[in-house]
Amino acid sequence: MNGPAGDFKAADWFAQSRSGAMDAAREQDWLQWIEADRHQQAYENCELAWELAAELRNSPTLASLLAGTDALVAQRRAARSAARPTWRRPVWQVALAASVLAVGVFAWLFTIRPVTAEYSTAVGEQRTLVLADGSSVVLNTDSLLRVAISRNLRDIELIRGEALFNVSHDPSRPFAVHALQGVTTAVGTQFDVEIIRDGAAVSVLEGTVTVGGSGAAASLPAVAVSAGNGVGYSPAGAVSDLRPAEVNRIQGWRTQRMVFNDIALETALAEYNRYTHTPIVLSSPALGSRHINGVFHIGDEAAFLSAMEQGLHLKATKGDTQTVLQPEAGYEP
Amino acid sequence: MKHDPTQVSASAAEAAYPLDMSGPELGDPIPADPSHRAYVTMLFNRHRVSLQRYLTRLVPPDDAAELVQESYYRLLRHGDMVRVDAMARSFLFQTATNLARDHHRRRASHRASFHVPIEEQEIAEEHLGPDEQLASEQTRRLLERAIAELPPDTRTVFLLHRFRDLTYPQIAEIMSLSGRTVARKMAEAIERLSAAMSEAT
Repeated sequence: MNGPAGDFKAADWFAQSRSGAMDAAREQDWLQWIEADRHQQAYENCELAWELAAELRNSPTLASLLAGTDALVAQRRAARSAARPTWRRPVWQVALAASVLAVGVFAWLFTIRPVTAEYSTAVGEQRTLVLADGSSVVLNTDSLLRVAISRNLRDIELIRGEALFNVSHDPSRPFAVHALQGVTTAVGTQFDVEIIRDGAAVSVLEGTVTVGGSGAAASLPAVAVSAGNGVGYSPAGAVSDLRPAEVNRIQGWRTQRMVFNDIALETALAEYNRYTHTPIVLSSPALGSRHINGVFHIGDEAAFLSAMEQGLHLKATKGDTQTVLQPEAGYEP
Repeated sequence: MKHDPTQVSASAAEAAYPLDMSGPELGDPIPADPSHRAYVTMLFNRHRVSLQRYLTRLVPPDDAAELVQESYYRLLRHGDMVRVDAMARSFLFQTATNLARDHHRRRASHRASFHVPIEEQEIAEEHLGPDEQLASEQTRRLLERAIAELPPDTRTVFLLHRFRDLTYPQIAEIMSLSGRTVARKMAEAIERLSAAMSEAT
């Protein structure tokens, strides 16, 4: 063990006091223990360590440890929700019932006013956040998100790019994601919102959300979208018919992969170019209608270009600002 | 009476600063609910000696006595407290720590300039400057090192509970651990951190 030994019994009682699971008899034992003269100082040490640790929140070391923790949490949550049937979440609900009790007293100071924060990613970057309500968000490349969470509301605005939300269940404050003039509302589910060229696309991986207009478009009809389905909406908030969720693409980007399953080359390149500052373009638009298959690591330009060459006989010429693909001699359209 | 060195400061302070139960002259009205008042008073009578000793480690002794009093009023004004003793003590110590921090900050800003508008003192915990922290540089360094050196799972449990406000059941689900294991890992983390505290003071 590093450093001097602390008092394990005091630390153990302190940890139990925060469990939200002590019954009355246990609480009596707790009280008796901490009130004994010879235990008081050790217990106060635990309380002091706990309270003063809060002041480290912004230290660079803590920030990097927290970033690692947040990423791990998102990973575990994603793995669990992929492995779990979507209609049963009993453990989670028990957890929430307990959390209302345990967090209630401690959180009051911080939850009265909504805490607003902005998060962004650079081109090619992905970032995982755990929000104050326990929900997690994975921000895809070149994205900007504004988050306001308080006791009564969970209001998120996607300003640019794409985000995958894993929403913790809380019927008392729906989780609303605004993007352009549309809003996607959930109680507890997993869904993806992407701002695209001609509007926004919503895919639901778990649970159900409603998608409708917001702001000036609030009077437009809302649509319920359940797991496995998705919708698009125009910049003005007009929602399309249901279509399949983009499950492969989303699970792909979550694991740093691009999944192309019989997709037009122009669509694949548009996806590829979201993650790079040196886009790949075609020497002739006519090439764009050819279809490709394959799974590529995001950022692995060499593998992608080599597949273009071997599969489609397209040769790459790299420039400073872009890479041009053109047919090899003898393979012109 | 036999002399017990651990009790001296607490009982002397008790005699010098009896807790005023009559209510403050200033501030928000205290909720009328008599059962709330009775609960808070019971809580105080039970924990104030400990609380005062705790505060003495953060601010000078005279100020500590004042802050004990102030914490009592704060809890009286905070009407919807959960009446579970373990949580209530935790809440009380958190409130007192925040008051100590305000106090410390007022002193720091008073030194910097003799006139600081009250609004500017309402700085959130997240935006503390170096003069506005209760923990000394040395304490911060020791705590930081203790956290960094925790075993990975223990550290994750601690960080999620301390900085992400997740409850034990939530952490248990995320990490595929039992609730009991989460509590044990929290205890482990707290033991290491409290050891760092005794090293610091």
